[in-house]
Amino acid sequence: MSEAADLPLWAALLVSALVLVGAGLTLIGSYGLLRLERFYDRIHAPTLGSSWGTGGILVASMLLFSVLQTRPVLHEILIALFVTVTTPVTLMLLARAALYRDRTEGNADVPPMLSKDVPPTQNP
Amino acid sequence: MTDDTLLISMVVLPFVGAIIAAFLPTMARNAESWLAGTVALAALGCAFLAYPAIAAGGALRAEIPWLASFGLTLAFRMDGFAWLFAMLVSGIGFLVVLYARYYMSPEDPVPRFFSFFLAFMGSMLGIVLSGNLIQLVIFWEMTSIFSFLLIGYWYHNASAREGARISLTVTATGGMALLGGVLLLGHIVGSYDLDEVLSSGNLIRNHPLYLPALILILLGAFTKSAQFPFHFWLPNAMAAPTPVSAYLHSATLVKAGVFLMARLWPVMAGTPEWFWLVGVAGLSSLLIAAYFAIFQQDLKGLLAYSTISHLGLITTLLSLSSPLGAVAAIFHMVNHATFKASLFMAAGIIDHETGTRDMRRLSGLFRFMPITATLAMVASAAMAGVPLLNGFLSKEMFFAEAIETHVPSILDTVTPYVAVIASLFSVTYSVRFIQAVFFGPPPVDLPRTPHEPPFWMRLPVSLLVLSCLVVGAIPGRTIEPFLRLGVTSVLGEATPEFSLAVWHGLNVPLVMSVIALVGGALLSFALKRYLATSRDGPPFFRRVKGQRIFDRLMALVANDGPRFLERYLSTRRLQPQLRLLVAAAILAAFLPLWRQGPGLGGLTFPPVFDPIFTLVWVVGTVCAVIAAYQAKFHRLAALALLGGAGLSVCISFVWLSAPDLALTQLLVEIVTTVLILLGLRWLPKRVEGAMPVPLSLTTRLQRLRDLILAVLAGLGMMLLSYAVMMRPAGQTIGAYFLERAYTEGGGTNVVNVILVDFRGFDTLGEITVLAIVALTVFALLRRFRPAPDSIPPPMQQQIQRKFDVAAPDRDDGATLTDYLYVASVIMQWLFPIVIVLALYLFLRGHDLPGGGFAAGIAMTSAFIMQYMAVGTRWLEDRLRVLPLVWMGFGLLLATATGLGSWLFGYPFLTSHSRYLEIPLIGEVPAATALLFDLGVFSLVLGATVLMLIAIAHQSIRRIGPARAANEAEET
Repeated sequence: MSEAADLPLWAALLVSALVLVGAGLTLIGSYGLLRLERFYDRIHAPTLGSSWGTGGILVASMLLFSVLQTRPVLHEILIALFVTVTTPVTLMLLARAALYRDRTEGNADVPPMLSKDVPPTQNP
Repeated sequence: MTDDTLLISMVVLPFVGAIIAAFLPTMARNAESWLAGTVALAALGCAFLAYPAIAAGGALRAEIPWLASFGLTLAFRMDGFAWLFAMLVSGIGFLVVLYARYYMSPEDPVPRFFSFFLAFMGSMLGIVLSGNLIQLVIFWEMTSIFSFLLIGYWYHNASAREGARISLTVTATGGMALLGGVLLLGHIVGSYDLDEVLSSGNLIRNHPLYLPALILILLGAFTKSAQFPFHFWLPNAMAAPTPVSAYLHSATLVKAGVFLMARLWPVMAGTPEWFWLVGVAGLSSLLIAAYFAIFQQDLKGLLAYSTISHLGLITTLLSLSSPLGAVAAIFHMVNHATFKASLFMAAGIIDHETGTRDMRRLSGLFRFMPITATLAMVASAAMAGVPLLNGFLSKEMFFAEAIETHVPSILDTVTPYVAVIASLFSVTYSVRFIQAVFFGPPPVDLPRTPHEPPFWMRLPVSLLVLSCLVVGAIPGRTIEPFLRLGVTSVLGEATPEFSLAVWHGLNVPLVMSVIALVGGALLSFALKRYLATSRDGPPFFRRVKGQRIFDRLMALVANDGPRFLERYLSTRRLQPQLRLLVAAAILAAFLPLWRQGPGLGGLTFPPVFDPIFTLVWVVGTVCAVIAAYQAKFHRLAALALLGGAGLSVCISFVWLSAPDLALTQLLVEIVTTVLILLGLRWLPKRVEGAMPVPLSLTTRLQRLRDLILAVLAGLGMMLLSYAVMMRPAGQTIGAYFLERAYTEGGGTNVVNVILVDFRGFDTLGEITVLAIVALTVFALLRRFRPAPDSIPPPMQQQIQRKFDVAAPDRDDGATLTDYLYVASVIMQWLFPIVIVLALYLFLRGHDLPGGGFAAGIAMTSAFIMQYMAVGTRWLEDRLRVLPLVWMGFGLLLATATGLGSWLFGYPFLTSHSRYLEIPLIGEVPAATALLFDLGVFSLVLGATVLMLIAIAHQSIRRIGPARAANEAEET
């Protein structure tokens, strides 16, 4: 982008650092999703991307456009809100489904029960 | 008042009245009657006003351009004959309205009655005053439809429904034939204008197409006038309220047939074909119906058959092709209308005051209702042809014509004998009508104690009977000038000298009359004892019922025939149907291509593919192929993979810079996948081991055949699309749209401007189709009965329930409610957010990707999420989900926006755009297309939510008791 040349050095450094941190965290999260072995471990990895990964990039974006347009640009807060609200739903649904399936099928690597409020493990 | 307004208002007024009548309150019997009576009187007044001009010897004409490019104009034309009929239709219409006011019970929904009645009157006046043959056929069909509605007025009555259905089938089929005949006639003459047709008699009679045209037109006329062998609908139509019968079967509906025959008489009569076709139908109706009428036990049934017989008389007179015959026919049309209307009304009074129409139960009513009895006696004397009454005059003219020789043949020879016998029968049933009802011992156990009807109910009968008397006694002073006017307008130069005197001297017709009168009276006394107890219908012929033959025929055409065809030409199984469909599609595409020679028409595959784009497509293709492979046994996987294929299409749209399409595709893909996912639960489970493990050779071959068919069709589609899309586009209208989108549509999103503005009419059509599809899906799913193994709750729910029941501290269903509690709360929070998104998509639509369709789908996804998060019951307790209302609102709004442009004198669906200054927000672009888009939005939302509901309600539907018992037994 041609406008990027107008950016002051301090801002450019800060923005780059934030973008790099965000992207790096997301990358680590994705790599973890690929590498980790069990479903319950893997489900944690992408949260890196959806929390601090997104956060870093969004903060960078806010900073960049606020400096460029010399006014506070805060649209990204909405994105952060949506991502924060929606991703947990997906992950919770996935985790619950996996947990449920493993318990009813009596699979070996089920996480232990935390309380008595958990459905039985045997088939009907 | 000018001629134009006079004629047009005569036809238009009744329809306007019909619309007003439909919207009056149910109880407004008086208001309705006043309205209908005023309209009928106004029509009558118009006819009066037109009299001087017509008496001066001219025909009034009024024309409105209609489809000028097809040479069709709305032409209204009133000559003497049409005037005579218009007087009858409106005059008797008025009397019937007066009568109906007192006849209809306060419980009957009168707005419907008077609305149909007025519309029928308008259609009848339309037939009479049409100056264009096509227009005449249209009004003709309208009389069929409105008579159907009138006959079926008491639709809680099975016989009314039946009668209405039969009459509609017969008369509308006749109307279809008539349309064919009229088209032929128009082809022969070169114009549909009545004046031109009437002036080309020789051309028509000598044309090779004369006979087909004649047969088709006569089919129309005979079915309408209930001529043998199409007569059977008329007795069935007696289930109608009596005012309807009095109107339809005296002056209007059945007279339309003979009206048309008389109208076309100058140009079509005079040939042997005419003589034979019309003569045979007329004579047989005259004789057979008169015979049948004697043996009816129902008052109205007797009158119905006598109507057929009298129409047969008119038809016979017209068949003779002699001018004097035509005079007598026209005269008898008028006479029959007056005495038959009064007789029907009298029968209605008897029915109304005694509660029955069965002549075996009625007797000696003279002492209870002497005035009505006298009136009925005079009217039936007119029907029998007693001297000094109008029926006598036209019957004498008929006899005089019958003894003349017109076309030397057997038919001509037997005519006088048939005439006398039929006339004798007519005397018999007239005497019987009077004798059985009014004389004899007082009636026993009638449903009601008989007494005289209110004065106003008797008044119409009295007026009609008075006219019978006056015309019959002094015809020369009363009816003759009008009759002469009507006859002259039909016959023109050929009008014969005739005189309407009561006494013509001692001649053969008089002798015939005397024989008929005396013989008929004797016969009625001879049959008196038999008829007092006999069953309904004539001996021997009782079993031969036209209606039964008709029913057989209908069953053959509508039921057995198709079933036979289905059995031998088709199948109910979906697989062969699909196979045939695909095979036919392949053939249809292949044949024209084969003629051109195979090949891509000079196209070559481009040497370089963009690697990333190719990768997207490879992924999409792989997804699609695996989905097809998995579709049968792993539906969930197949569905997920289909979503993958859809996403690759979506990415392609983005790649090819079509963000609108991509956005819509993405949303549609999401909603469709979720809807199908919800539906998966109801599909039957996989049956393990249904097939023997080494598959038989036949099965393998079948599968191979299906695979080849599928691959062929798929490859063919691919090649076709490739060949079309890779061709240089040539001259398209795209550039036009790009150029004009902002200047004329006021939007920078060309796609949306095309959808809601340039091609708004297409969009209107499409959303209508969408609405229909949604309703169809709903109708199908509403009656959907899932496979037995899908009815109980899914296994997961069963396990959870078992756990709840076993644990002492848990309520039944608690696990299900709590299991995804956090997630469901978050999903509830998302509702407003998605609504904002939909609003955003909607508002930016005119200038940026988005629009009503995408917004509608986005909004639907909000609803789907709520249904999934909290369940159907909870949601519908708290949120009003009214998809039908939304759909209706959408359609209405879109149409109304389109119609709105008419108010400003622009064509349908012209949009207007400008900038509006809104406080706080500033200047915003606004276009009327936004309203149209709101309609699209609302309809899409309604349609999709309707389908969602159809699926969602499956899970909360209770199984019927019988089925539940079955299930319990099995487990």
